[in-house]
Amino acid sequence: MKISLLNFSNKQTGMRPALLHLAIASALALVSHVTLAQDKAEIIIKGKISDYATNQSLPGASIYIEGTSNGATTDANGDYSIVITDPNATLVFSFVGYDTEKRQVGGQTTIDVALIPSLEMLTQIVVTGYGEQKKTDITGSVSSLSPTTYKDQPVVTTSEALQGRIAGVSVQNVSGAPGGEVKIRVRGMNSINSSNDPLYVVDGVALFSAGLGDINVNDIESIEVLKDASATSIYGSRGSNGVVLITTKKGKADHTKVEYNSFVSFNTVRKKYDLLDAVGYAKLANHIAGSDIYPDPDALAGTGTDWQDVIFRTSVTQSHQLSASGGTEKTRYYISGYYVNQPGIIINTNQKKYALRSNIDTKLSEKINLSVGLFVSHQNSHNNTDAGDGGVSMVTPTVSWGPTESIYSSPGVYNRTSATGSPISSNPYMTAKERLNDAKSNTFLMSSTLKYDITDWLSYDLVLGVNANLGSSAYLTNHWISPTNPSSGQSSSESYTLQNSNIVTFHKMFNDIHDVKVTGVVEETSNTYKGISANGGGLTSETNGYYNLSLNKTQSISSSYSNWGLLSYVGRLSYVLKDRYLFMATYRIDGSSKFQGSNKWGYFPSIAAGWRLSEESFIQDLNVFTNLKLRGSYGKTGNQAVTPYSTLGLLDKSQSSYGTTTLYPGYTVGNPSNPNLKWETTIQTNVGLEMAFLNGKLSATIDYYVKNTKDLLLSKPIPYYDGGGSTLVNLGKVQNRGLEVSINGNIIETEELSWTTGLNVTSYKNKVVSLGGDDIINLGYQARGLVNTNIQVVKVGEPLGAFYLIPWQGIYQQNEGTHTAGEAKYEDVSGNGTIGSEDRKIAGTSTPKFTFGFNNNVRYKNFELNIFIQGSEGNKVFNATYAAISASNSTVKYPTLAAAADYWTPENTDAKFADPASLNKTQIESTQFLQNGSYVRLKNISLSYSLPKDMLKFASLKLTVSAQNLLTITDYIGFDPEITSTGLSTTGTSDAYGGFDIGAYPTAKSLSVGLQATF
Amino acid sequence: MKKYIAMAGLLFLSFSCSDLLTEDPKASLTTEGFYKTANDLDLATTGLYNLIGLTFNQTAGFASTFGADDMTANRDGNKADWSDFDIFRASSSNNLLNYWWVNFYRTIKSSNNLLANYTNAADATETELNNTAGQAYFLRGMSYFFLTRVWGEIPLVTEPTIDYTTQNASVEAIYAQIVSDLQQAEALLPDTWKDDSKRFQNGVNIAPTAGSAKAMLANVYLTMAGWPLKQTDKYALAAAKAKEVIDNKTKYGYALVDISILWKKENNFSSETVYGIYYNTNIAEFVYPNTNMMLLAYSPQDEGAWGDAYGELNFYKKFPSGPRKEATYQMVYYPGNDPTKAVDYTKTTYKHPYFQKYRDDAAFNPVNHVTSNWVGSHTVPIIRYAEVLLTYAEAKAMADGVDATAYDAINEVRTRAGLKNLTTGLTAAAFRDSVVVERGWEFAGCEPAARWFDLQRTETVAKANSYRDASEQALVGKPDDITHAFYWQPIPIYDQLLNTNLGN
Repeated sequence: MKISLLNFSNKQTGMRPALLHLAIASALALVSHVTLAQDKAEIIIKGKISDYATNQSLPGASIYIEGTSNGATTDANGDYSIVITDPNATLVFSFVGYDTEKRQVGGQTTIDVALIPSLEMLTQIVVTGYGEQKKTDITGSVSSLSPTTYKDQPVVTTSEALQGRIAGVSVQNVSGAPGGEVKIRVRGMNSINSSNDPLYVVDGVALFSAGLGDINVNDIESIEVLKDASATSIYGSRGSNGVVLITTKKGKADHTKVEYNSFVSFNTVRKKYDLLDAVGYAKLANHIAGSDIYPDPDALAGTGTDWQDVIFRTSVTQSHQLSASGGTEKTRYYISGYYVNQPGIIINTNQKKYALRSNIDTKLSEKINLSVGLFVSHQNSHNNTDAGDGGVSMVTPTVSWGPTESIYSSPGVYNRTSATGSPISSNPYMTAKERLNDAKSNTFLMSSTLKYDITDWLSYDLVLGVNANLGSSAYLTNHWISPTNPSSGQSSSESYTLQNSNIVTFHKMFNDIHDVKVTGVVEETSNTYKGISANGGGLTSETNGYYNLSLNKTQSISSSYSNWGLLSYVGRLSYVLKDRYLFMATYRIDGSSKFQGSNKWGYFPSIAAGWRLSEESFIQDLNVFTNLKLRGSYGKTGNQAVTPYSTLGLLDKSQSSYGTTTLYPGYTVGNPSNPNLKWETTIQTNVGLEMAFLNGKLSATIDYYVKNTKDLLLSKPIPYYDGGGSTLVNLGKVQNRGLEVSINGNIIETEELSWTTGLNVTSYKNKVVSLGGDDIINLGYQARGLVNTNIQVVKVGEPLGAFYLIPWQGIYQQNEGTHTAGEAKYEDVSGNGTIGSEDRKIAGTSTPKFTFGFNNNVRYKNFELNIFIQGSEGNKVFNATYAAISASNSTVKYPTLAAAADYWTPENTDAKFADPASLNKTQIESTQFLQNGSYVRLKNISLSYSLPKDMLKFASLKLTVSAQNLLTITDYIGFDPEITSTGLSTTGTSDAYGGFDIGAYPTAKSLSVGLQATF
Repeated sequence: MKKYIAMAGLLFLSFSCSDLLTEDPKASLTTEGFYKTANDLDLATTGLYNLIGLTFNQTAGFASTFGADDMTANRDGNKADWSDFDIFRASSSNNLLNYWWVNFYRTIKSSNNLLANYTNAADATETELNNTAGQAYFLRGMSYFFLTRVWGEIPLVTEPTIDYTTQNASVEAIYAQIVSDLQQAEALLPDTWKDDSKRFQNGVNIAPTAGSAKAMLANVYLTMAGWPLKQTDKYALAAAKAKEVIDNKTKYGYALVDISILWKKENNFSSETVYGIYYNTNIAEFVYPNTNMMLLAYSPQDEGAWGDAYGELNFYKKFPSGPRKEATYQMVYYPGNDPTKAVDYTKTTYKHPYFQKYRDDAAFNPVNHVTSNWVGSHTVPIIRYAEVLLTYAEAKAMADGVDATAYDAINEVRTRAGLKNLTTGLTAAAFRDSVVVERGWEFAGCEPAARWFDLQRTETVAKANSYRDASEQALVGKPDDITHAFYWQPIPIYDQLLNTNLGN
């Protein structure tokens, strides 16, 4: 939320300055007429506290004697009485949402006070697309997040700050790696194949080359999330997935402030798998092999390696932010520097970030204001490209390597591969220590706005925005990782996104009751991406690391390029009648280079209306609501998140060396061209109710929405006999319906003690309505080898992320037909007499039924306690990591899971697992490995102590001790129910996949100590 | 004030560009502009070798030939999918079944596109056009030859198309297409690629030649003469084509090589290879289809390898001893890669002999049998000259009766194997049976000239399996040489789900 002081004079709400001064003057006059009392003894002061504007009494307002802790509160009628001994005492009158007033008693015995609603309440300004609006005038569903809500939680990224704090916004940390990817969804998932990432707009500039993770979270002044069509249609073809508007900090005139913020946290893996020891493992392996691979298992007691112990570590994260802000009425500044060092909880992984921001606002003249925001960051990632996929991840090898194996086969020589051939991956410790993969990323953001107030009702804004990323990466695959072909390579890329917006705003009040605002925008956005990479093989010397590619015997280069453009025309009309009837209409026309011919153009209208019932006398007479607003909206948004050239039918690169060491370029026909491809569009209807009670002590917002997405950009699979692959088509419909509730309370608010609480609950249902004639779309899948068919499908009537698995029915207790006792038992869904992928059926979804966040802040004197609980209910996770170590499969022959020793034998018939030596294999793609991903988590608990400036003279200090993810309640057996190997840019971002854990990088449990100093 | 507005206007103008909404994929080739030059044709055929490389670089596709009596697989751990073929219980959703289906059809798709468009290459000489089409016809014909032997009746796609309702073609129609494609290849391909720096390496042709096409055609005719078509008139055609290859072996550069070096890495480029798939791991970036995954696939778990399959006991016992047996099977095993603990196969974990045809590689250390990479560079021969000789011998005997040339052909292979000449005076049928047995020894283990295909065309699958050692994994399905049960695999479930017309 942005508090605007400047808008006070030209916004036609509530108080007008002249009236305000008059009110204060008459209040003072009233006071001076009261009879004076001279007695030194106890004096009883009585009075009434009321709202200045409405004259309504204010129950629960507080009164205290300045310099003491003696106080009182008003009763149900707003009356109070307080005893004083010093006739010269000063009384302090305060109430939430009102400016605090002080009165010298000066002999009075009755002091009535009319409190003035605070400016904040009256002029809360919310940043909306291409402008800003008074919060009270908003007709759309817009949620705001202020840094004060997460101020005592050590956060490295903006997504951490968002998680669990806004109804309708889901944040999932899909990888626990430092700088690991995060999946953020606003109101569910519309698109099957295209991205469902919201649009991020920082200070008016839409991000493309940079992501949310590149922004320095400490620079954020406010975050607004636009959720319904009334709010997002203004972003047209980029609005379908919601829009996150970020406003960065600015300096305040005559208020120089230097602030230092820092924390150190100690991170450990949340939970480890319970694995077999060497003896148990050897016995199980012997049983599976049917021969004594380990001749004397019991002799192995106390030997071998605990691979989890050698791979996971306690890491120490350090974060430092130093900022200075201030300025004059004419020129204001905010400058910050940031450094964070974040080693991962897996050995030899790390990320460091450095960032600098400079926000300057200056008045060039009375009518022209120039704001320039510049941000640069440098990020250094070391071995943290852990995608979570079976092949790349450290995690699956760590838990699947036999405890009988040693790290080294002789001093200084790694035990590269397992003696038994199980698992097929290399020694995880060797891989962790010897791999070398460094990535550097430089982000540059510029947002400059030239604002020209042509008259007091007409203004022009020119916004020029740049977001750019220069990235480079390099790797060395040494002789340990690849004894026969050590190699090295480097790559670099540059991505520039340029934005030019021209905004004309007309804003005028007619006859004191018609508030009309019209906004027109012409905008151009374009992106250019270039990449180049050079790789070598047969590295003759590792002395130069990855710096000397010419040491490679064979070398290859490749390059890539893409470009897209978007031309947009936007109009918005907002009309407010008598401060209570609100209307809004927006229209955006977008032209995109990604489509062909007339399909290039998309049209995105929206309408909305609101009614501030609390302004009506029949509601005011109820004396219940401080605020009551009903609003509704309807509108259309689009999704053009296909990659450039998707319609052109590109050829696939497909090299061959003809048996030599030289790779020759080759091409094969890829997916067919598709000039008829068009926008995916979403029509959203939203109804919302905003309420506040007890003078704002308690407030609630309820929103219900229905989103219908049609013309889905779908990859329709082509039969293998026609060459396979897929073709992008506009097919099908997806519906999202949801209910969002957020409740905020200032339960206690006194000088010494306060308790604020916020609860938000999001519930939504996602359903595939149609697939254009098909009933089911089989998706691609990960962890090939372990998993041999897709375990998730897109099916009509089911949600995205629906699992499609063979129903597991336990274990055969007797021989039955071709099945022998001890074998895993499955439902023969197809009835064809055999068990296989034809027997899969729908088995739950990775989409939660509801998610929630519950935040509590309790302050007592200088102590402050924050407890933040967050959770997810009703989602399933396919735990492929668990499957890989509990049953024999193509990558792991001998299971390592402790529970795997509990297999069926005639003597152990209620065993957890089938007999691993049985004829019929355990089907990995079965419901046996689908687990409940619901969880409730103590995300943050922190205690802070503030030392005010007058104690330390030079600065105010705040010390915070906190813990993150201290407690998680879940049935999930793996490292963490929240992480998943899907939804990563490296593995495909379709939301039709989700809740699939194959060695995903675990999240950490952290203990942190923070320091904040303000000078 | 005005100057600021002018500035703003200028900025806006400088930003604008007329082609904001026009796409120009500067770094990517599109189908539209492709096949226009001779160089495009070269890029497209190189792409085909990538696809065919992928098809043969692992055991997954070969699994459908495991029903023969030369190989078997254990079921423990991850081997059940291989074993399912061996014991005749592979279903349409067997995880390995899809591999050849997908990759042969991908090759066919790219060949179809090339054949539909190659004449658009304006600057290509007639030779370049012929060479291009010849390679595409050869690979398409070969792909269908493998596909129909594994699956029988399948979709016959010869043009770039996407059709969700295609019906299966008859086996006759598929063979007619194979013959036509290979005849085209024979006519269009050169005798040698000597002047092509890519397709001729280390003195051998990497790409197929007219000789490869004739040899393939001979194999096709021989198969057509057996089950299921039983067009016995094709024996003569098979013999004639094989003879053309034998008579011109110098021209094409074919010869048998010494058996002791046949499967060595030094022989990766071999005069014995009539057509082969070539791999190399020592390339600048990892291109999976350019590497061969078979070096660990048939080697013992005891030595840290995968052991996807090993030799069937009875077949091994009957296998005539001598240099060929020693080149085919691993004779000495080092459990735990410890040479001081050398044992024979009876002391290995699974007590079966392992094949070593693809094992010799830069990544393999013969001292301790450590394999330091999971991919290698070993060539996979599709047709060896030995097969041409044996095809000739069998076809000649069946077409015109046994004669000296037929004996010469088989004896050339036997001599190289260290065996005596074949008993003289055999009837055509007995001679044919001897050749089939000889082929079994010669191509045992995972060669594309799989024993499975011989058993199938001679309707002896059940018969061969009846000799299965009692200690082997028991058969679940019962193959039948009369009803031909289990002779063909079910069409993979994925395509059956996309096109219900394919159900079988």
